[in-house]
Amino acid sequence: MSRSRTSGRVPLLVAGLLAILLILAGKAHFVPFERARASLTDRSGAILKALDAPAEAAGRWLGGIGHFFDVYSENQRLREENARLLQWRGAAVALQDRVKHYQLLLKTVPEPSSAAVTAQVIGRSSQPFLETLVLNAGRRNGVKPGEAVVDARGMLGRIYVVGDHTSWVILLTDLNSRIPVTVRPGGVQAILSGGNTNTPLLDALPQNAKMKDGQDVVTSGDGGLLPAGLPVGVLTLQEHYPRVRLYADAQTADEVRILDFQSPAEPMPKPSDKVLPVPDKLTPPPPPETAARPAPIIIPSAQPSPTQTVQGTAPKPRHAASITRPENTPSQQAAPSAEQQPAEPPPPAPDQTDDQDNNQ
Amino acid sequence: MSPASLFAAVVPVCCGLLGAVLSNLPVSLAGGVVPPPVLALMPVYFWALVRPDLMPVAAAFAIGLCQDLLSGSPPGFWTASFVATYALLDRNRDSFAGLAGIGAILGFALAALVAAAVTYLIAWFYFWHRPPLAPMVLQLVASVLCYVPALPVLNWIQRNIVGALRTEF
Repeated sequence: MSRSRTSGRVPLLVAGLLAILLILAGKAHFVPFERARASLTDRSGAILKALDAPAEAAGRWLGGIGHFFDVYSENQRLREENARLLQWRGAAVALQDRVKHYQLLLKTVPEPSSAAVTAQVIGRSSQPFLETLVLNAGRRNGVKPGEAVVDARGMLGRIYVVGDHTSWVILLTDLNSRIPVTVRPGGVQAILSGGNTNTPLLDALPQNAKMKDGQDVVTSGDGGLLPAGLPVGVLTLQEHYPRVRLYADAQTADEVRILDFQSPAEPMPKPSDKVLPVPDKLTPPPPPETAARPAPIIIPSAQPSPTQTVQGTAPKPRHAASITRPENTPSQQAAPSAEQQPAEPPPPAPDQTDDQDNNQ
Repeated sequence: MSPASLFAAVVPVCCGLLGAVLSNLPVSLAGGVVPPPVLALMPVYFWALVRPDLMPVAAAFAIGLCQDLLSGSPPGFWTASFVATYALLDRNRDSFAGLAGIGAILGFALAALVAAAVTYLIAWFYFWHRPPLAPMVLQLVASVLCYVPALPVLNWIQRNIVGALRTEF
């Protein structure tokens, strides 16, 4: 009797051990499982799309019933909003031109290029430990793991499993989502951590960081995996915890863009005397050969681009490599004496160009 | 084995796989507020008690693995959870199998609670921080509520397709 009972438990023990091994393999990023999942999604992609269409239609129809009664007031509100947006559009175009002009004058390092693939959402999964979307674009469309997914309002998440024709998106609200962000204005760096709630938490904040409700949260681009400046959401303080109300809505997102961001590799900073901490007492001006390069923190403070602002405010030498002016520029060749540079406010490029012209 | 009996033998596993597919369809009736019920656990619970010969632990393992694959969760979460629930049922089969009516629903609620607790603990250790409890509780409640209409369906399949005879335990 006991023998048969023991032998009956052997399959149970084996199954339990296999399950534990499976969990450990998953922790070690077991590739065949992900491949199987991607393959399964690829094969069921058409079915998912077919199932999603009537469900979306039904959802829209049901949602539209409530809007039917306030069509007039909604129309009025949209007209007013449209008029306001048209005014803003004009202002934005003018500001964009001005920014381009300044960037040209300052010889700003061009932003890394990013291409995009537009895809449709064919599935939404909201499990207790996972919040994902399934898209109908995969490896064949050039989609790669880690790429950012955005909708018209802001960032939704990142690609984490790619099949041939489909891909899975891990949402910013997911428990496993961690992305580097910046709180603007102020340039406070943080990590946005999902927790399967609608408002992800801002983590790894610097000490004494000053923030307030309503500040913008954008991607910082640190690490080079995501483009900088993607709108993420609005800061909100809930029970003394800094959280982010996301712009994007995964439940209503229908068409999304997958950004193929190609960031150059960050060079390791070379330690030198210039990056060492400044002693307490006032130091004499540096000799001409060491002061030939401008201090890295000065230039970007005058740049209006979000990317450049984030890079400029961070006092790390690795960012300085991407924002300092090239040494062979005419403005530096004809720069004034090295003793004057550190004491001056940020030298605008047009003035230097004028100086150069005068010298010539 | 005749084709009819072979078909009857695979029906419980097929029901489990179908449950995994249905609960992971990309259609959210609750707008994503309530997680989908764990439909795959219902056939596992039902036939592990009624016809354990047709729902061995390997079948529970396979259904759990299918649930893992389709739900997008890390591998082994639901597999381990289903195996643990099966172990509970295996040890207390006579007690669970004797339940009827509300008792049967409560029995499933207990099994679903064990499955949810195991999944929650695995997630806690796997992610190394405590996951939110509310989605898990909501999923548990949704699963138990869905078992009420699912039980007559499972009973019908058992009577008309699989066969009402219980094998020896």
